Amino acid sequence: MTDRAEAERRSLLLELPADVQAVLREFRTCELTTLSKDGGPITWPVMAVYQPEQGRFLLSTAIGLSQKVAHLRRDPRLSLLFSDPTGSGLADPPAVLVQGDGHVGDDIGTWNEDLRVYHRQAWLRQPMSRTYSFSPIGRYLMGWYFRRLVITLRPARVFWWPVGDFSRTPEVVGPTDVG
Amino acid sequence: MWDELLKQLRRYESAVITGLGDDGYPFSWRCTPHPDQMQKVLRIDVPPGAPVTPGPAGLLCHRHDERMWNQRSFLVRGRLSSAGGWAFVPERLIPGEGARGLLGTLSILRKARRAAREYLQRRGIPPPPIPWAAINEDKAQLLREK
Repeated sequence: MTDRAEAERRSLLLELPADVQAVLREFRTCELTTLSKDGGPITWPVMAVYQPEQGRFLLSTAIGLSQKVAHLRRDPRLSLLFSDPTGSGLADPPAVLVQGDGHVGDDIGTWNEDLRVYHRQAWLRQPMSRTYSFSPIGRYLMGWYFRRLVITLRPARVFWWPVGDFSRTPEVVGPTDVG
Repeated sequence: MWDELLKQLRRYESAVITGLGDDGYPFSWRCTPHPDQMQKVLRIDVPPGAPVTPGPAGLLCHRHDERMWNQRSFLVRGRLSSAGGWAFVPERLIPGEGARGLLGTLSILRKARRAAREYLQRRGIPPPPIPWAAINEDKAQLLREK
């Protein structure tokens, strides 16, 4: 990606309204959609780390749950919908849809800077996940969870519906043709 | 499948519907599906101006508590139809987390362990060692800072 394209994507996120950015930062889960081999959409609840200064979202999946990664390696088009405010502490937030291309690294990571950021957000927001690495039995049962692939999303287009009202025409930022 | 779908659907206030736009990118929104018992489809509202087209689609219901626990979900593959108003035509229900109780959760964990092992075997990669001490130290530091 050129420096200019990188700057444009960073700018797209940083220029979103404050209430939209709060959703991207504070929502506990979002709905990730990837495209399966037959072209149909498959949607998964996931946690995303919002990194506007880097112009991206950071996601991760354990290699034992790698179907979405297989999809992205075949077709990078994806979307993230932020529509469930449970746990976010936000009142009447907008619902936000982000479209873009996902990139999956080849390396199976167990502990690196991206995974450190990812696990830290999970530990703070999902206290039970702190127990996975704590005891010998947890480490035995959950070892698969700590062998992970990193997914990054460079957003191309962002839609949002004020107060989560999907009966309204969404606001949109980004080119109408993201292909 | 239809009866099981209605049983599952009753446990949620709304669902996430995803279709495809003209450019092939997925487009998702949340709505309350209304079962049409005669046609065995779910009648849905589509946001005005949504760039979705009739064709492949999915429906996801999920929820979690304030601490991202007690997760429940299920997925339905199907298609969007615009004939006679927008509808989601269900084709295949895929149970998710919590859908089959504790045994279902244990089954998901067992499958994930096996899938991880197979992922490595297919690529001829030995299981990368996990630095448990570093992970637990960083977690402890984070919680001290909190």
